[in-house]
Amino acid sequence: MVQTTRKTARAKGEHAGNGATNGATNGATNGATNGAGAGRVIPTPATPPAPLMVEPPDLSWMDKTTGWGTRALPDLVHGGGLTIDALNIGTYSKVPDHFPYRNRLPRGAYPSPIAGSIGGYYLQDKWEQWADCAGQMYEEGISRRWSTATDVPWETATGLPDDVEIALCQVATELSHQGSIETEVVCSWLQNLSPGYHEVKLFLATNVYDSARMFEGYRKRGMVNGGGMLFESPGRMNRAVMETFSGWTQTVLGLWFLRGALQLTILRYLAAYGPTEADSVLAARMIPDRMRAAAYAVDHIRQAIAARPDQRVAFAMWLTNLELAQAADAKDPVLWEALAVALGGGVKQIDAGMAIVRRLQHDWVQSYIDRARSAGLERGTDLGRPYQAMLAEGATAAT
Amino acid sequence: MAPDLLPDAARDARVETYAHLLEYGRERGYKLDWLTPRETFGTHPEASAGGGLLLQDIDRGVFADAPDWSDNLTGRPRGSLARANAPKVGNYSVRTKGDIWLRNAAQLYEEAVQRQWSSAVDIPWDTLEELPDEIERAECQLATFLTEVEFVAGDVPGKWIAETTPDYYEPRMFLISQIMDEARHLDVFRKRALANGGGLLMQTSNAALAGAAIDSARDFTEMSARLHISGEGLVLSIFRMGERMSYNEAEKAIYRLAASDESRHVAFGVMHLQYLSQAQPERREEIHSYLDEIELGLVIGAGGQNPATRGTPSNAALAILLGGGADSAAIEEGAQIALAVRQRQVKEYVQRVKVAGFGDRFENGRANAALAQYVAA
Repeated sequence: MVQTTRKTARAKGEHAGNGATNGATNGATNGATNGAGAGRVIPTPATPPAPLMVEPPDLSWMDKTTGWGTRALPDLVHGGGLTIDALNIGTYSKVPDHFPYRNRLPRGAYPSPIAGSIGGYYLQDKWEQWADCAGQMYEEGISRRWSTATDVPWETATGLPDDVEIALCQVATELSHQGSIETEVVCSWLQNLSPGYHEVKLFLATNVYDSARMFEGYRKRGMVNGGGMLFESPGRMNRAVMETFSGWTQTVLGLWFLRGALQLTILRYLAAYGPTEADSVLAARMIPDRMRAAAYAVDHIRQAIAARPDQRVAFAMWLTNLELAQAADAKDPVLWEALAVALGGGVKQIDAGMAIVRRLQHDWVQSYIDRARSAGLERGTDLGRPYQAMLAEGATAAT
Repeated sequence: MAPDLLPDAARDARVETYAHLLEYGRERGYKLDWLTPRETFGTHPEASAGGGLLLQDIDRGVFADAPDWSDNLTGRPRGSLARANAPKVGNYSVRTKGDIWLRNAAQLYEEAVQRQWSSAVDIPWDTLEELPDEIERAECQLATFLTEVEFVAGDVPGKWIAETTPDYYEPRMFLISQIMDEARHLDVFRKRALANGGGLLMQTSNAALAGAAIDSARDFTEMSARLHISGEGLVLSIFRMGERMSYNEAEKAIYRLAASDESRHVAFGVMHLQYLSQAQPERREEIHSYLDEIELGLVIGAGGQNPATRGTPSNAALAILLGGGADSAAIEEGAQIALAVRQRQVKEYVQRVKVAGFGDRFENGRANAALAQYVAA
């Protein structure tokens, strides 16, 4: 039967790479396959030259397994397919507290005694990176994939007063800049996070893709009417996020607690008050992306604290550092003024717009407090005065 | 509207309007320094037919200008307005355009976005059926190998993205899409290994060593030559042979979809080399030296990223899959086909290098002489 199956596949002679040779890859990969006759039967050389001599293979690897007989099943009830978490059965369900290999051994594979270290991958402890939801967030990221090119009704991004359009470009610049920084930061960690916790690495792959989409989606928003990119971020929070190489967990706190809460709140307001349908849709599309990052972050910090309760104080102190950096950025009026003009409807309505911004700031800080509390970090009494003020003023503005 | 800049008269009228608005706002205590139209204001991108608003279409004026050398150390989006007091957070080592640029990176990125797929639901897992033990073991060994090497192709670009100025955001965006693709690849091959009554098999030590060579590259183009031209090119040749070593529709789908992704990655490497060879001809000899190393790996079969490398479990697994069994006759047949696969890898490598603009090495005696035996056989 097997032989028949193989012969049938051969006879079909389908080209496995057909889908790849359209559009942008033309020239490079098409040219690369010239002469190779992709998809047709490759003639077996009658008399191979010396470099092509066949050697009898060593088959000792056939018994090198830690868990033969595994049969992970797709979710046929809810339609979720074969998920990465569904593979964690039997031997492969064991996620060790420490992964001792500093190479790319897939978790559960039979380790080669001579593989050695290839450098990097120095975060080898589970508590330093793990979140139970990582695999689920990865699959969700894939299933919710979308495109700024085709899923946003860009044709509706028209007809705004010039001041509102420019204000949106300023907000877009800020979000684009933050997306770019987030991509850089997460990418710089990938070589240090152990492949033994592949669910986390898979999730982070979707995260850099998401943050890159925030970068390019808001660049497109800035450019769609020519307003372009305006003032860059003030940069203190960018620096604080970049300078978290003391640990991945500190990076998580930097990216997805205070800053992540700000991004999410801005996106929610743009989704609700976006002056055009394109602005609403663009923001609304990004909210689930940001929510997945928040879910991973909260789950990771909660589990890190559970595994290492001694770290709770250190994490809280790190949050204080981040709050100082973010407060320095928050003193800068550019983002708030631009949001006020965009959400209020123009410079002439900036006071009304600033009232909306006060509520936005309140919601941001409250969201941050809630997020930290969910992770096991109380910020109520530790919160600095700028944030206390935003809570108070926002509450007044809301009434 | 065509992406032309505004006429002077229209811009003057706008300036007057802004002056009025600024005065209004500042009287109320706002600064509004940001409320200034950029030189492209009021222009619109020309949309590509049917493809939506694409990255390659949006930039114009100062925003389209990817400088030959970047002094952007604050990570700001290209063309944005710098702040004098912004901290310099970007310790970018890739700040010279030729070091990473290619002409179609934005197109490759958008194509990647459109061609994303899900290993959970886009593979017909229900078509997996029980296979003879030796076939299942071979499938699982190959899947273990591919899971392992896909970590390389995801993690290493990540490092270089962080090292590259955002003034060259187009190649960065493509590399980000590659990280996403490679995550899906390591995921789908792990799923294959664990979905049909088998399991992960043996780590390929050679792959770890070869991966380290890619990790260790000190220059982006050197890394790209090792990863995109050599490593992924070799794997692409294998994926394109997927029909021949598949035993069910699930495996065919895996190889077909993975090949689609890999072809973009290889295209990136080829197009980057092509750009560099034209923009920085003084680097051609250096690039040739990287190709010398790659070809040595090809002819002695030492490239650890290559599943068809002789003497490795993955090569033996290929022989079993291609021959249809583990008895001596089947292995002999499969090994012969595997050799043909290696010939094909060499032929495709030669063609890629020619497209990249370094084909002179095949005419002036620079290329490894043993390549000719593969091509001629």
